[in-house]
Amino acid sequence: MKIKEVIKAKDLNEALLSLDKYRDKSKLIAGGTDIVIDLKHKKVLPEVLIDISDVEELSQIKIEESYVEIGAAVTFTKIEKSKKLDNRLKGLKEASRLVGSPQIRNLGTIGGNICNVSPAADTVPPLLALDSIAVVMSVEGKREVPLQELFLDKGKIDLKENELLHSIKFSKLQKNQALGFSKLGLRKALAISRIATSVCIEIDEDNRCKEIRIGSGALGKYGLREKSTEDFIRDKILDENFIEESARFLKSEIEKRLEGRSSKEFKSEAVMGTFKKAIREAIQLIKA
Amino acid sequence: MKKEEIKLKLNVVGKNIIRVDGLSKVTGRAVYPQDIYMDNMLYGKTLRSDKPHANIKVDISEGEKVEGVVKILTAKDVPGHNYHGVLFKDHEVLCETRVRRIGDPIAFIVAETEEAAEEAMDKINVEYEELDGVFDPIEAMKKGAPKVHEDGNIVYHYKIRKGNVEDAFKECDVIAETEYKTHMVEHAFLQPEAGIAYVDDDGMIIVVASTQYPHFDQLEVAEAMGIPTEKVRIINPAVGGAFGGREDITLQIHLAMAAKATGRPVKCTYSREESFVAHCKRHPMVMKCKTGADKNGKLLAMEAEIVGDTGAYASWAINVLRKAGVHITGPYEIPNVKVDSYAVYTNNPFAGAMRGFGATQVPIAHEQQMDILAEKLDMDPMTIRMKNMFKLGSETATGQILEESVPLDRCIQEVEKVMNFTQGKKGGERE
Amino acid sequence: MKEINLTVNGKKHRIKIDENMRLIDLLREKLNLLGTKEGCGEGECGACSIIMDGEVVTSCLVMAFQAESADIITIEGLEKEDGTLHPIQQAFLDEGATQCGFCTPGMILSAKALLDKNPRPTRVEIKEGISGNLCRCTGYNKIVDAIEKAAILLEKGGN
Repeated sequence: MKIKEVIKAKDLNEALLSLDKYRDKSKLIAGGTDIVIDLKHKKVLPEVLIDISDVEELSQIKIEESYVEIGAAVTFTKIEKSKKLDNRLKGLKEASRLVGSPQIRNLGTIGGNICNVSPAADTVPPLLALDSIAVVMSVEGKREVPLQELFLDKGKIDLKENELLHSIKFSKLQKNQALGFSKLGLRKALAISRIATSVCIEIDEDNRCKEIRIGSGALGKYGLREKSTEDFIRDKILDENFIEESARFLKSEIEKRLEGRSSKEFKSEAVMGTFKKAIREAIQLIKA
Repeated sequence: MKKEEIKLKLNVVGKNIIRVDGLSKVTGRAVYPQDIYMDNMLYGKTLRSDKPHANIKVDISEGEKVEGVVKILTAKDVPGHNYHGVLFKDHEVLCETRVRRIGDPIAFIVAETEEAAEEAMDKINVEYEELDGVFDPIEAMKKGAPKVHEDGNIVYHYKIRKGNVEDAFKECDVIAETEYKTHMVEHAFLQPEAGIAYVDDDGMIIVVASTQYPHFDQLEVAEAMGIPTEKVRIINPAVGGAFGGREDITLQIHLAMAAKATGRPVKCTYSREESFVAHCKRHPMVMKCKTGADKNGKLLAMEAEIVGDTGAYASWAINVLRKAGVHITGPYEIPNVKVDSYAVYTNNPFAGAMRGFGATQVPIAHEQQMDILAEKLDMDPMTIRMKNMFKLGSETATGQILEESVPLDRCIQEVEKVMNFTQGKKGGERE
Repeated sequence: MKEINLTVNGKKHRIKIDENMRLIDLLREKLNLLGTKEGCGEGECGACSIIMDGEVVTSCLVMAFQAESADIITIEGLEKEDGTLHPIQQAFLDEGATQCGFCTPGMILSAKALLDKNPRPTRVEIKEGISGNLCRCTGYNKIVDAIEKAAILLEKGGN
């Protein structure tokens, strides 16, 4: 490691100005759970580190009239324990609860989880299922972009040298909407997702699916929406038979995507389990 | 003396005793080698092979130019014998012309800071002329396979011959014949290898390192340094787990050489990654088993071939593969037994001691053999075991008579109370 | 070099640090608090766990400069000045919850962070609380026993 300058930003302005000044010579650090390891292995070689973990504006969960906004430096622990996020958002809380270990969740942030663009990022599938908007800032101003569009490739995020991820926004869930999540790891703690599925649904009194969005983790280069499966499910009655049928549909989608991969057989089978768990959880949350 | 009287006289047995080192450990005061800092101390780093089998030429000149580098040790700097090893002296302290596995030590860099040592490590030029390697122990046994060491790849062959298996198999009503494979396992003791060495005022070389065998280390350090053992002292501070992984030499000789060469204390701490590469692993084994029983479930014969992959170095392979051979019958009386157990060199990471020492791999084979036989006989898995298990007076495959305390039946009955294997077999509810 | 202020085990420090230093390096090499152990350097093993501003974190994943103004507790901060052990330490000792000892400081601090927030955890909650701490001697049961016992000791009015 050969870092020449470290800046602990006190406010957003200082963070943005520092980032604008040092640009590609600098790296942002918040929880540090990924970057400190990369620094050790010389995978990244910044001259300047800008710590944004204490920037108040980035560390808040805000509930506005029509939407929820989560600052990029909000830790997994804060999301997991937040009383502001109601139980219909259980899928997001659960995804946060299942990250790493208590130590990692106390450090790691939702912004870091997004900006590393790991295929297995735990909170990305629920955020995709929530149709989240990323709020990006620089000294020049603010732009809002659908989260999915930020992902360019594995490990590559569409942020300019002087931009940072400010927060994530998504619409508040209504009474007939809820978010479920299920993850498959090799063990209970400190496990990187082998597969994660999050399902956000809206149903009417007859169990008819008015809207559905499915977010997948570890089934592509980065977190993805399963749009053809969503189309297959939308406007249908969600009884047990149809859920099974949908799972098989998703399976065939994953088989196509993972063609030629050694993980195809396992993942296409296992995704049926995570999908069914996630959608049943969402239905239960609505009925509760 | 009666049992009760003995009990009264015992101060420790049967009582709840606080560990002698407990207080130092719950307060964080226990000293592991990485916790030792000495004045005027230097740091050591090991340059390791990144090829599994190759001839090497080492040029350290660029590394020596790095500011802060005090000394770079290579094979030619080993004052005594350039070898070590718990049974066979098949490791080199620093590899001279050839590497046999990824991770073989080639040079030991001593510098004022860890950063300088690391920088020098990147600048040392190792020219590799890659050789064909062998990575499958079965392949390694064949004629014409690349030789890992000069005398051929089969390190050891252990045999058991009891009765006549060929005749006995003809009497069997059921036979299970299966091949089992186990994988390499890393100890991952929580404290990575670390040590510090210095030369005291009397010229004694002191090596402080977490080790399982200070007395072996003393001998190995003395031989490599070309000095009498009484000139070497090994101090074993707190050991952060070992499980067999600290039985072979890792950094002890390097540190002794560095302290002697520089006249200053030298410390070395492995990272977790280097720890994985540096020490031995559990032997992966291929176990071919043929086990036969009569229609009542009584075992009549077992034939087994075990091939253990010891990687590039023998370490404890002989003891481990012997133990595997002895235990492959499981805790069962079998009148006819034929076992061939081999330890084989390959260019894989080397294998040595790890918890169980060869007895850990074989139950995977012998217990599944029992289950397969039970299934073929439509018998529950507990009954077939009860019929065949060792009891007082049993004779093992190696001819040992078990003369005292063989309470396996009681143990299985206790397990049965909770697990209901027999019920389960009959379709009953399991707890 | 950069100067930072922080509080460790109740004591205020003003220290010069190298920009490349991690918090674990600061604790061990600048403050000589050697009870904080490095087992993996990647946040997987938990041996370097400390409590920072009330939360347990792996000090190998925090850069030293990030600890500006932080309030830190390490294993050395648990005993009273007269040498009386913290109830968690006492319980670990009594229950034989320490073997090689390398995981012990981190394990005890995870236990403390848990019990500070949840004074009577269930065994499942205890296991979750120490899920970021590896013990390779596999004395987990005794460790869970010790934390259960510590909860009782603390309730009876330890520190």
